[in-house]
Amino acid sequence: MRWEVFKQDTPKKAHQAVGSVHGADAEHALLNARHVFGRRPAAVSMWVVRADRIYSRTAEELAAESSAGADGTDTPPATGTGPRTYLVFRKSSHRRSMTFVEHVGEVEASHPRDALVSAMSRSADGEGLAWWVIEEGDVHRSDPDAAESWFEPALDKTYKQQSQYGTVAPGAGKRSAS
Amino acid sequence: MTPQTELDAQVSQALAYRLTAMGDDELLLGHRNSEWTGHGPVLEEDIALSNLAQDEIGHAVMWYGVRGELDGSDADDLAFRRDPAQFLSSTFVELPRGDWAFTMLRQFLFDCYEAESLPRLARSAHRPLADAAAKAQREELFHLRHTGLWVKRLGLGTDESHHRSVAALTAMWEAFGALLAPLPGDEQLVGAGVLPDWSTLPAAVFARVRAALAAADLDPGEDPVVPPLAQRNTVSEARTELLGTMQAVARADPEAVTW
Repeated sequence: MRWEVFKQDTPKKAHQAVGSVHGADAEHALLNARHVFGRRPAAVSMWVVRADRIYSRTAEELAAESSAGADGTDTPPATGTGPRTYLVFRKSSHRRSMTFVEHVGEVEASHPRDALVSAMSRSADGEGLAWWVIEEGDVHRSDPDAAESWFEPALDKTYKQQSQYGTVAPGAGKRSAS
Repeated sequence: MTPQTELDAQVSQALAYRLTAMGDDELLLGHRNSEWTGHGPVLEEDIALSNLAQDEIGHAVMWYGVRGELDGSDADDLAFRRDPAQFLSSTFVELPRGDWAFTMLRQFLFDCYEAESLPRLARSAHRPLADAAAKAQREELFHLRHTGLWVKRLGLGTDESHHRSVAALTAMWEAFGALLAPLPGDEQLVGAGVLPDWSTLPAAVFARVRAALAAADLDPGEDPVVPPLAQRNTVSEARTELLGTMQAVARADPEAVTW
């Protein structure tokens, strides 16, 4: 089963989608996410969400659906009925080499599509190139109490730059060529 | 407890011996786990076990470093340029990696041992040792989470995974008891406050192990015997084979000034 991984770099930054892992269940996926995406700095929190529990739409898909009158029949099945909390994620730039779908907030709705419409109407601070909407109960979060054990050791595991390796000047020290 | 900076010569020697034994255990266990790199069941587990391997090897470097502060020894020399007879590793970490169940259960048992030993070492009167233990302890909690999850999966998974787990436990149980045996010189270290609460270690480790195994429907039987004194100088076939592989490149050019 595939799970999307969201990583938060500092307490003030938003969780960003960084990639995906396989996992038999949420706990397994979280551990794998920590191994794959959290070994190097920096992270303070991680979330995983089953890939098939994400309602995702690009700007192009939304335009096409609205002209065709589609109602988003491929939405994940709702667990129960009535309004619930959805987390909304947005990708708003192509500018950098690394662009992320980023957590932008929560909305109350009865259906992911309504959640998306509601989020788009409130979101005037940036363009939405792609949107992900996830029901709150589908977000599995790393334990804040375990953050020290999960993420802080990575601070000591920075990449070793080429210049940090010892070198020997040509001809120095080594036995001379015969 | 007063922080101690100067150790008398005998205590210093006993500590160097213990640090070498602990470093050798971490290094060899890390190497055994690294043998799975490229062979893991899925990419994520391959990466995970390689991470655990690197962490253990990192801890070896740390223990060798604390020893180096005592006697000026060099971590690379200790790892790559000692003969098998000079290593102080336990049979437990030397045993071949076996199957996935053996590898995971061994790492789990070692994590349980460290979950009890590191907090004790973190209270050592020898500050560099206490600091290093506290640092390693953070990481070991995460290791235990990972291997603990696997013990449950293996024990409660399929008939085959359960049987393989039982067989693995049986095969490593005696060596696990021997891992916990006191080293020559430990008595002096306890006397000097360098090893706090050391006699309570095995019982605490076994209680921890037993609780986790029971939750995974695994019963290892009686607690393993902890010998009164560890015999770390015996060269096993497994140690010779492991070091032969691990040291091959470093030993290929003994005159190399640097790598």
